[in-house]
This record gives sequence, structure tokens and C-alpha cells, in this order.
Amino acid sequence: MNFVFALTAAVLFGAGAYLLLKHDLVRVVVGVSLISQSAILALIASGLTRGQAPIYPLRDAPISDPIVQSLALTALVIGLAVTALLLVVVDRVSHAFHTITQDDVAASEAARDAALERAGAGAEVLGE
Amino acid sequence: MTALALALVIPWMAGIVLVALDGRRRLVGWLAIAALGLHLGALVALAIDVVPGRAVRFVTGGWPADVGIVMRADTLGIAFAMISAVMLLAAAVQAVLEGVGERTFPGLVLLLATGLSGLFLTGDVFNFYVFFEIAMTAAYVLTTYGGGRRELGAALVFAAVNLLGSSVFLLAIAGVYRVTGTLAMETISLRMASVEPNAAILIAVGFFIAFGVKLGLFPFHFWLPTVYTGARPAAAAILSGALANIGAYGLLRFGAELLPNESALGATTLILIGGASIVYGGVLAVSRRDVAETLAYSSIGQVGYVLLALGVGGPVGLAAAVLYALVNSLNKTMLFLAVGVRGGLIGAVFAVGALSVAGMPPAVGFLGKLALVHTAIVARSPALVVLLVAGSALSFVYMFQIYQHEFWRGPRPGHRSPWPLQVLPAILALLVLTAGLWPEPLLAVSRDAAAVLSRGGQR
Repeated sequence: MNFVFALTAAVLFGAGAYLLLKHDLVRVVVGVSLISQSAILALIASGLTRGQAPIYPLRDAPISDPIVQSLALTALVIGLAVTALLLVVVDRVSHAFHTITQDDVAASEAARDAALERAGAGAEVLGE
Repeated sequence: MTALALALVIPWMAGIVLVALDGRRRLVGWLAIAALGLHLGALVALAIDVVPGRAVRFVTGGWPADVGIVMRADTLGIAFAMISAVMLLAAAVQAVLEGVGERTFPGLVLLLATGLSGLFLTGDVFNFYVFFEIAMTAAYVLTTYGGGRRELGAALVFAAVNLLGSSVFLLAIAGVYRVTGTLAMETISLRMASVEPNAAILIAVGFFIAFGVKLGLFPFHFWLPTVYTGARPAAAAILSGALANIGAYGLLRFGAELLPNESALGATTLILIGGASIVYGGVLAVSRRDVAETLAYSSIGQVGYVLLALGVGGPVGLAAAVLYALVNSLNKTMLFLAVGVRGGLIGAVFAVGALSVAGMPPAVGFLGKLALVHTAIVARSPALVVLLVAGSALSFVYMFQIYQHEFWRGPRPGHRSPWPLQVLPAILALLVLTAGLWPEPLLAVSRDAAAVLSRGGQR
């Protein structure tokens, strides 16, 4: 069972990392959320025990670990909120840059850097 | 315990209310500042209890210790919480004086304060993660402050990279729970010694990557310059003065207290990465002309010193790491707040900042460098001393290069800023000088904080 969980988490992480390196920003967001799913799966797998539901009064039978369930729920909620936030940022970027690919965003950054560099060199000449 | 609860509840509640109000109105801004002041007051009250060496500790909801979530305040946590609170307060005052441009800004600063003090004052690794995400989420939105194209691009890079870091952190927590069966830091540090080495090393690497990304250490620094130069000065001051403390605190707490054996095993790697950060940050900072960009690369270099001291370890090394992290936070906030301001006092602020970053006597940065050199001498390593001196020389060059470019070349472009805006960085500069001239309190705090960590390691 551990192996199945480990394999699934690894595949999710790999797929997420692949998408994270894509140019399309929506794919980047999907990649981030896949990676966070892989972490949540690992969290569930870290306390994988079979048994009764841990409801008081406890019987003698072994109980299943409730902590990982609550951790996974908390992490899921955080993951959902953060994915929503990231999608909003992508939406605003697509309005501001009229594009949703990382290349164009980076290209406009590079253009700004080059302009700054030229301005700096100009000031250098003036200063001397 | 009341002070600890108040320190979390005040900014939390105030933040929730103020996020819903229009933060562009002066009143809302000043309310946020008042709440930050109360928050700082609660932390001071807590510090009065904690600093004599009595850690405050309680379990939420009155549960037994291994069931409920442990909140605890020790010298290390309270020192980082207080410096972050002061820096957030300074950045918020600056933003309000300039006129807040976004509805949510004051509320988000309060929520960031909640997340930061929560994670500095918790004794539970998963609770650390939750507060960490509260702080990071507020920071993602704060990075977009200003709402221009550059800010948005910076926020996107910042959020995507740091979410990856958060997931790695969560994976490491899953690993810790798997091998120790608990989430309470005190119990983890007891049980970690008997864990199978391979698993422990993997976990340590996971935590190191997570905090390295946050801190912008050399191989994980790629997002940092874009973000620090893209964001507005107030936002950049918050990111580098308050948020970067998470990385330094996390490395100290998880590296030195929870995983001391693994840190000792990886000491050479830590020192090498720290050295690479110092050289890389210093050289690139020298090559930049833009003030914000120079400061961004300087941040990469400065955190290298913290890692280096952590790598050497021992009471002297850890105390130097704590001291340097606190000093760096103060320096960076002061300088970033001064970036957008014009006027006579700002020249003096930059001079003090340059002295402090380079590690020259009257400023507090001298203490940090002195502690680091002491660490290198205790470690009997001439190579480290050479590295420290070379790093300081680089920071001297880039800081005075900024000074020369900005202040010795005729008037800077732009109008003189109003007095209150100039006075604020000047107050921080006075703080830098005072702490440099009267260093005992800061030295005592960092020594006590290091003692907390090495106690964790010896048990």
C-alpha cells in the first residue's frame, strides 16, 4: 500500500513539475496545484493505519490515525485558497500584459532591464 | 499566556475587519498602525516574561500536550517576532504617510503580522505550516501593491516559486510525522536522534530547500531580484525585513534544534552554499547601478552569512547567526524604506546603512560582522576569515558605490519628500546607531536564543 501511495505522489509531483516549466501560465497554476496534491497525498500516507474510527469511548480494537486526516483537510483548504489567489493573479497579469505566456512577461522585464542599463551607461558618460 | 494569545488575536481580528474596509482612507491606515502598535505592546509584555529564560508554553483548548497544539514563546521566537513587528510597523507608517494606494493594504499587513508572530511562537510543526501559509498568502497579495505590470509579474514569480517551496515543506512534515509519530517540536527533537539516518537526511534536505527558497540562498535565489525590484519600496521593505525572517528562523529552529545531527553532517555543504551566496550576491550587487537592484542582490549575500554561521554551529556560531539575521532585517528595512524618499536626512540614512551593511564600527552591522569573525576564529578556519573579509569588502564597495552615485553626483531627480517621510528612516538609522553603541541587550538576546537551540540539540 505504501508503494502505491509513494508511486502516485511521485507521479503527481513529476507531472506538476513538468507543467510548472511550461510557458502557459494556466498550466503553471495547474502544476503548482498538482504538486500540492502530491504533498497532501504524502501527508495522508504518512499515518496510514487500518482500524476503527477514533470516536470516544474507545474500544480495545486498533484505531485509525485521525491526525493525518485533519492535517490533509487543513492542507486541502489552504491549497484551494492559494490556487484561487494564483488564478486571480494570472487573470490580472493577462489583462495587464495582454498575454498568458511566461515568455512575454519575461521579455517585457528584459526590455525594461536593457533600458535601465542604457540609462545607467548614459549617466556614466555624463558624469565623467 | 494572555500576552501570547493577545499577540495573535489583536492583529488577526483587526486584520479581518480592516481588509473589508477601504484602506485608502487615512483613518483605516492609522487604525492598522494602532493595531500593529498594540500587537508590538503585547509582544513586549510577553518578552518581559520570556527573556529572563522562562519559556511561556501552553496547549490550546486545554488538551493534553500530545493531543492539542502547543504554543510556546522562547527567547529565539520572541526576538524574531519583535524585530518583524517593528519592521512591519515602520513599513506600514511609511505607506500610510505616502498615502495607501490599495484598499486591502493595511489589513494585509496586519494578517502578515499574525502569520509571522504565529509561526515564531508555535511549538508544533504543522501549526508552523498553517501560520506560514497565512503569512505567505498575505505577502503574495502585498507584492502586487501598486498594481502595475512589474508588480504583477513579480507577484506571479514570487507566488509560483514559494508555493513550490511550501509543498516541499509539507512533504518534509509528512516525513517527520512518519518517522517520529508526533508534530510537537520538543518531542521531535527528542525522537529524531534515533531515526534511521537516510530518512532523517532526506527530511533535513526537504526543510533546507523549503527555507532556502524563502530566504533566497544562492541556488534558490532566482526569484528574488525580480521581486524585490518589481515591488514598491514599502512592499520590498516588508518582504526583506519581515518575511525573510521566516527563512532564517526556520533554518535555525529546524536545522539547529530539530535536526542537529543532520546539520552537523551537512556543515560543509551549508558553509559552501553560504560562501557561494556571499560571493555571488556581492559580485552582482557591485555590478548593478539601480539602488533597489543592488539591495536585492545584497540580500542574497547577507543571508549567506547567516547560513555560514549556522554551518559552523556551536553556541558561538548560532548566536552569530541569530544576531546577524536580526541586524540584517533592520538594515534592509531601513534601506528599502529610504529608496523612494528624497531629502537631506536620507543621505545620512544611506551613509549609516552603508556603514552597517559593510560592518563598520558605530553601526550595529559591525557587531554582526564581529560575531561572524569570532565564529570563524573559534572554528579555526583561516579560509572562513578570508571569505568574511572579502565579503565585507564587496559590501563596502557596493554600498558606497550607491552612495556615490546617488548623493555625490548633484541633486537626485524628484522633489524633496515631506519631513515625516524622511524622519521615519532616520529613526531606524538612529536605532542602528544606538544598538551599535550599546550592544549589550542585543548580544545577550542572541546568546540566550542560541542557548535555547543548543539545549534542544543536547537532549
